[in-house]
Amino acid sequence: VTEIGPPTGLLTVLVRLRQCLLDSPFRLDAPDAADGDRERSSILAQLDDYVIPRMVQVEAPLLAVVGGSTGAGKSTLVNSLLGRVVSRMGVLRPTTRSAVLVHNPADAQWFGADRLLPDLERTTRPTGDPGSLLLLPVETMPAGLALLDAPDVDSVEERNRVLAGQLLAAADLWLFVTSAARYADQVPWDYLKAAASRSTAVAVVLDRTEPAAIEQVSSHLEQMMQARGLGDSRLFTVAESPLSGDGLLPPEAVRPIRKWLDSLSEDVAARTAVIRQTLEGAIASLPARTALVASALTTQEQISVALRVDVVDAYREALDGVADATQDGTMLRGEVLARWQEFVGTSDLFKGLETRVGRLRDRLVSAARGTPPPAQTLTVAVESGLQTLIVEYAETAAEQAARGWRSLPAGARLLETSGSGLGRASRGLTAEVERTIRDWQGSVLDMVRSEGADKRTTARFLAYGVNGLGVALMMVIFASTAGVTGAEIGVAGGTAVVAQKLLEAVFGDQAVRRLAMEARADLNARVESLWAEEQARFFAVLEGQQTPPGTGERLRGLGEELSAARFTWEPV
Amino acid sequence: VTMLGTLRSRLSRRDDLSTRLAALETAVDAARGRLDPALIRDADETLTRAHGRIRLSPEHTIVALAGATGSGKSSLFNRLCGLELAAVGVRRPTTSWTLACSWGPGAGDVLDWLGVPARHQVDRASALDVVAPEPDLQGLVLLDLPDHDSTEVSHHLEVERLVRLADVLVWVLDPQKYADAAVHERFLRPLASHRDVMIAVFNHIDELGSIAAAEAVADARRLLAADGLGALRLIATSATRGDGVSELRSELAKRVEQKRSSHVRVSADIDNVARRLMSATGSGEPTALSGKQRAELVDACAGAAGVPVVVAAVEEALRMRASQATGWPPTRWLSRLRPDPLRRLHLRPGMTLGTGSDVPVARSSLPSPTPVQRARVGTAVRRTADVVGASLPPAWETSLRAASVARLAGVTDALDKAVATVQLADERAPRWWSWVRALQWLLLLGAVLGACWLAALAGISYLGLPPPGDPTWLSLPVPTWLLLGGLLLGFALAATSRAVGRASARRRARRADVRLRSSVADVVDELVLGPIQVEIDAYLTCRRGLAQALKR
Repeated sequence: VTEIGPPTGLLTVLVRLRQCLLDSPFRLDAPDAADGDRERSSILAQLDDYVIPRMVQVEAPLLAVVGGSTGAGKSTLVNSLLGRVVSRMGVLRPTTRSAVLVHNPADAQWFGADRLLPDLERTTRPTGDPGSLLLLPVETMPAGLALLDAPDVDSVEERNRVLAGQLLAAADLWLFVTSAARYADQVPWDYLKAAASRSTAVAVVLDRTEPAAIEQVSSHLEQMMQARGLGDSRLFTVAESPLSGDGLLPPEAVRPIRKWLDSLSEDVAARTAVIRQTLEGAIASLPARTALVASALTTQEQISVALRVDVVDAYREALDGVADATQDGTMLRGEVLARWQEFVGTSDLFKGLETRVGRLRDRLVSAARGTPPPAQTLTVAVESGLQTLIVEYAETAAEQAARGWRSLPAGARLLETSGSGLGRASRGLTAEVERTIRDWQGSVLDMVRSEGADKRTTARFLAYGVNGLGVALMMVIFASTAGVTGAEIGVAGGTAVVAQKLLEAVFGDQAVRRLAMEARADLNARVESLWAEEQARFFAVLEGQQTPPGTGERLRGLGEELSAARFTWEPV
Repeated sequence: VTMLGTLRSRLSRRDDLSTRLAALETAVDAARGRLDPALIRDADETLTRAHGRIRLSPEHTIVALAGATGSGKSSLFNRLCGLELAAVGVRRPTTSWTLACSWGPGAGDVLDWLGVPARHQVDRASALDVVAPEPDLQGLVLLDLPDHDSTEVSHHLEVERLVRLADVLVWVLDPQKYADAAVHERFLRPLASHRDVMIAVFNHIDELGSIAAAEAVADARRLLAADGLGALRLIATSATRGDGVSELRSELAKRVEQKRSSHVRVSADIDNVARRLMSATGSGEPTALSGKQRAELVDACAGAAGVPVVVAAVEEALRMRASQATGWPPTRWLSRLRPDPLRRLHLRPGMTLGTGSDVPVARSSLPSPTPVQRARVGTAVRRTADVVGASLPPAWETSLRAASVARLAGVTDALDKAVATVQLADERAPRWWSWVRALQWLLLLGAVLGACWLAALAGISYLGLPPPGDPTWLSLPVPTWLLLGGLLLGFALAATSRAVGRASARRRARRADVRLRSSVADVVDELVLGPIQVEIDAYLTCRRGLAQALKR
């Protein structure tokens, strides 16, 4: 029976294409996402419902789907063609809600659930459920041919429209029914144009037309078909005629159609030609449609990259900001400066360095006043300054990242669905920052402690203690570029010089430079890990929504492979 | 009397509508740039249309026949006109442009506004040779629209345009197409709020048997109810046979006679837009800022403006001046060696770098705010916006937040100017300084006099001259009194006035602090709270306007 051999190479490509499409849903808002997603679902549906099953079983009967508008008389036509009522008819729209497949009893083996339209449940009794497919063996149905009465394409019932689209995509042949009142409607023509663009085999039936108007309407319809690429398709006309008792048209009204179906049933070559036309047309349309999906997927990739970059940039800027502010000397003003001067001594800055009198006096004073020793108040001042600074930069970064997201529709949608928290620093950040700064200060003290392990006994080390040297090191860090920018050379430079001298006197200048560098790198690393957690909130929202990079490219490759395979495929 | 009453009620209706329209306009203006631009655009279009319609005569009622191709709009139109005006045929789509037929004179303005070209307008009275007055339809402007579902997209656009303008919409359904998504999803469902100005017609019932017709009409009613149009009048007609046409005609006559349709239509449009705006605006109340929160904000800005630095410098400078003015004269010069902390900041106590508002204010040499201080200002401003906008709907909260930080960049400059224009302290020296100074000189003079006297006495005794009479007081010689007393009192006076000067410096510095902070508070009000207030005002205006627009 078969003239078309199983095209294994092509089939493999199609299966891979299907898998690739399955793996890449559209989740981000983009101008072309809706189109891309529609095309993706339509390709997937067509592969599952038609192309792959049809390629596996090329010898299965030809499936003619009777589709068209609501009220155009599809069911009446099917019933009249078979000479008995198999599908519900009536004046209430939409009449047909579930699909009815009529076949010759001899062809029953071809329509199991593992064949065409696998996701429709097979039934043997009318249910009205759009998810079911009623299988009706009818003696009067010509063998090698099956008729599927589909719901309408344009009714108010959305599920009907979806099902109709799915069924039409699974057809070897469309028997598209329209009427005198319908033939210029936009919705059915959208379907017909799609069929024309895929070279699907189509026959149009102009139904329910007053005999007087048939001439005029059918010639206009023919013009429209010519203009829209359906010039080669057959056009049948069925005059509006009185229905028989059980609602059937008189046999002569549908005789041309019946004859044509019979001839298809008898002529295997003609039938195969129809199947080939539609199947090849469907496959031929795939590369271009795949390319469309691929380009939409590339947009998805670009958007996810852009969203990621927005976040990364915002936090990188914030990191630079913190790094600058903590080394250009600006930290060394206000509270910190006052505490530093208090710590170092009073007017004579070097007093503390040269003698222990100043220290002693400071200790006495703080003991008498009940205030904490200067080193501790300085630590606290540094902590609160740094904390305010880091929290503010975190706020700015979150704001900037959210602003970036809001400028893209996809980002705006993500912000909306994720709640309002993303535009701000995270809730527990202040406490987190506090802990981080304390840890950093602790590690600076550790650094000083281990560096000074062998200098424990020197007078200077003892005079300032680990705490004193630790804060001096912080001062040095905070002013490490002050001299470079020149802006803060006065106060901050002075402060830093004193601290530097003090540290050099204890550790030597080489060690001081190294310590400062290590401590600063440590601070930056800690801020960076804070930022990582802040960014993670954005990434977590993005995580489930992004398309893995390279998907578009892979799909495009498959499309090209498909074009090549299509041309190498020849029927046996 | 009844005519007068009708007229009066009609006028008051018109007034009421203009008020609501104005209220909606206020609300839309307030929401502009703050709510979804698409929504605002819709609202603007509605406003333009409504203004256009109420400017025109309410004596006319614009009725549009809309429906699918082949539903028999044109046949109905011809039936109602009693003329064969609209082309009727089997070729689809039949009607390509809007055709208008007016009953009674004066419809020209209305038709112009509708954009129906003159060649598609028919004045019924002049078109009919026989005079058939139909007084009950005087004022009717009947439109036959093109279809909304054919392959001709230009027809869809024309229908969409006129559906927005007509006073009464007659939806013509038919047995084949009454369940089409094209009419339900694109028109009927979105127009559910306009049920008072719509009529549905089920045409072509002649094609069905009477039982089937009743079933189909009931089914159409079910679909309309699903669209939210359960109460819609549904008339079964047959344009060819004439069933139901008189019913439709009398329904139209009723509406024409009431002359309420244009009003009801505009009112429904206003309701529709106002509801949509309302759902975006919500009903949250902006939170008033507590005194403490405002103080925190001012405090952060004051810190960034260097107020504490200036105040400390003022106190120090005043203290130095006091001790210079009232210290012990021989050592007074010592304190001049120390720099004046105010001068270091390029400030003077009598201050103000610019003395009046017309003089451009130079920058003071205050240290520019550190990142930490700037960060504090930013944080405080954000917190303020959060507090105020906490219960506002998202769109308004976003615009409030944006407004709060919009002028943050200018705050630093403004603060610097604000600080520079404040008079820090009274330039005039306090009166007691001169008294103390005079007293100091007097005491010094006494001490010098005593010293000279003692020196003279010593010289005399050295030369062996007879000592002159030595006046004593309380058993000590007077010159000794003069010298010691002058010196001791001088020191004591210096110490006392130093203490007094310190206290007064502190007091005056505190006053300067108050003045500086109030100046900073002005900046905060202008650059931070001002923009926030603008947003809140807009929000409240919008809400008030919407409430008024929705009030019947």
